[in-house]
Amino acid sequence: MEAENINLFEFAAFDELESEHIAAPRYSYWKSVWRTFFKNKFTVAVAILLVFILCFALIQPKLSGYSPIVTPNINNASMKFLKPSAEHIFGTDHVGNEVFDAVWAGARNSIIVSFVCTAINMIVGIPIGALWGFSKRMDRWMLEVYNVISNIPFLLLAMILSYVLGAGMRSLIITMTCTEWVFVAYFIRTQVMIIRDREYNMASKCLGTGTWTMIMKNVLPYLISVIMTYASRQIPTLISYEVFLSWMGLGLGTTNASLGQSIAMYTSYMNGYPHLFWIPVSVLAIISISLYIVGQKLADAADPRTHM
Amino acid sequence: MSNEYTDREVILSIRHVDISFDVGNKKKFVAVKDANFDIYKGETFALVGESGSGKTTLGRAILRINPCSAGEILFEGKRISGKISREEDRNVVRNIQMIFQDPAASLNERATIEYCISEGLYNFHLYENEEDRVAKVDRALQSVGLLPEHKSRYPHEFSGGQRQRVGIARAMIMDPKFIVADEPISALDVSIRAQVLNLMNRLKAEKNLTYLFIAHDLSVVRFIADRIAVIHMGEIVEIADSETLFQYPLHPYTISLLSTVPMPDPLVEKERKHIVYDPSQLDQSGAARSLREIRPGHFVFATDLEFEGYEAKLEKLEREKA
Repeated sequence: MEAENINLFEFAAFDELESEHIAAPRYSYWKSVWRTFFKNKFTVAVAILLVFILCFALIQPKLSGYSPIVTPNINNASMKFLKPSAEHIFGTDHVGNEVFDAVWAGARNSIIVSFVCTAINMIVGIPIGALWGFSKRMDRWMLEVYNVISNIPFLLLAMILSYVLGAGMRSLIITMTCTEWVFVAYFIRTQVMIIRDREYNMASKCLGTGTWTMIMKNVLPYLISVIMTYASRQIPTLISYEVFLSWMGLGLGTTNASLGQSIAMYTSYMNGYPHLFWIPVSVLAIISISLYIVGQKLADAADPRTHM
Repeated sequence: MSNEYTDREVILSIRHVDISFDVGNKKKFVAVKDANFDIYKGETFALVGESGSGKTTLGRAILRINPCSAGEILFEGKRISGKISREEDRNVVRNIQMIFQDPAASLNERATIEYCISEGLYNFHLYENEEDRVAKVDRALQSVGLLPEHKSRYPHEFSGGQRQRVGIARAMIMDPKFIVADEPISALDVSIRAQVLNLMNRLKAEKNLTYLFIAHDLSVVRFIADRIAVIHMGEIVEIADSETLFQYPLHPYTISLLSTVPMPDPLVEKERKHIVYDPSQLDQSGAARSLREIRPGHFVFATDLEFEGYEAKLEKLEREKA
């Protein structure tokens, strides 16, 4: 009986390389990012809401053709100041236009301006900031540039530029990018300095890797998460800048719809018709908050420490 | 008496090198003072000292990471310290490579092993085509006992010993002549230290390498090094053949350092006494010390007075051993 059992075993050949084998499934950075991101149901819900709002804001104004200077019902008193109803979802305003159309047309412009500005600021700011963090010589004069630019009052700059360039989307984008990139660059510079002198960078230097390859391969991949966090803060911030500037009358001008302008326009009817004020403000809040949450969660997912 | 040391080819010379760092307020911290020695082709030269003694600083100066504030470093007779042309700088990178202490910190966590190992190849375009590069990476991996399938893995998936071998493969793929190994095994598990040391020895023989082995663990140094330099507070206090240093240590600091080596024999270990280094037993007259040759190839850092004392002591030791 025992002899039979022993026969069930056999000697295995010893293979030294066998112990080097890694059995764990292959790691892929971006796959892990998506998996972590979609694991949280709340995040997915907010992301779906955000995508819906963004699509809606981009498409709806094309269908409605809303423009603040087209006011067909301005002499029709029965169309003014209607409460929200099935027929007029967000009601109508002081000139008889649909608030629903005005809000989405405004949201569209605000979103476009903030996304374009964020993209420009990041594209300009990240490479400059990365080089700035690496080069001590560049650091000396870039700090002076930073000091000068960061001491210009933003509102003053916005006013001067709107007088010089006139109102409109292009001048608003120039206003919100001509100095903002410096802050992005400064942020990246600080982050680069933190990881610049780590040992693996020294190892790359010993292998003859140049500064630019080092930035692309050794530094920026480590910064994906912090850059996403920064961008996710920047987009809502720029939306509120746009709203603020339009509210001040320095933004997109009266011929373009904008959330800021709608809010400014409707503020005077706040007592009698509060929905006119609160609806655009709520839409603004929902867009900003959902952008911020999705950005934050994406940044968290991009941090490999959450992939375990 | 024929001197075997002068006949051998010098690959790297450290000539009166000082390395200092600014610590603000125009103060300077001198990490290495007047280091002066030669490393011969094909040997393993160990630099031993406690933490903060300047051994890593000196190793990094050879790789041009730390600038020398005085003196010069010659590689194959050409100066490689201070300002040199871009071409010479690339030549240094090609021929002098480094193995780092902490394998976890010295690999780029966001790059695959394939990129980590290919990095030097990319920088110098040391391959004919993509196939050739992959073949070279495969060979490098196999030469350190890893598998070609590891190419697509990331450093965090490896054990400490495997990571250190990736670090070695990455340095070896450049076909260097000289390697600075900065405590290559002190961050590793004791069970795999021997594996990495044996690998380094095997590669040294195969590729005809010269090592500068920086360490604080004397038992390891005795195993791997041909010659040993003891460094203390930035000053080289003694240089000798490995066996000479262990047999006839002269400088009190060397003696103290040797007394800390644990013995794998319980009876001997029980008897072992730790001799505390006491600088007050040195010549306090303030006379200048310099590195003097007491026997061919055996140097000790001493004043005239101390040198006489060491000479007497050495003669006594030699009589005892003979």
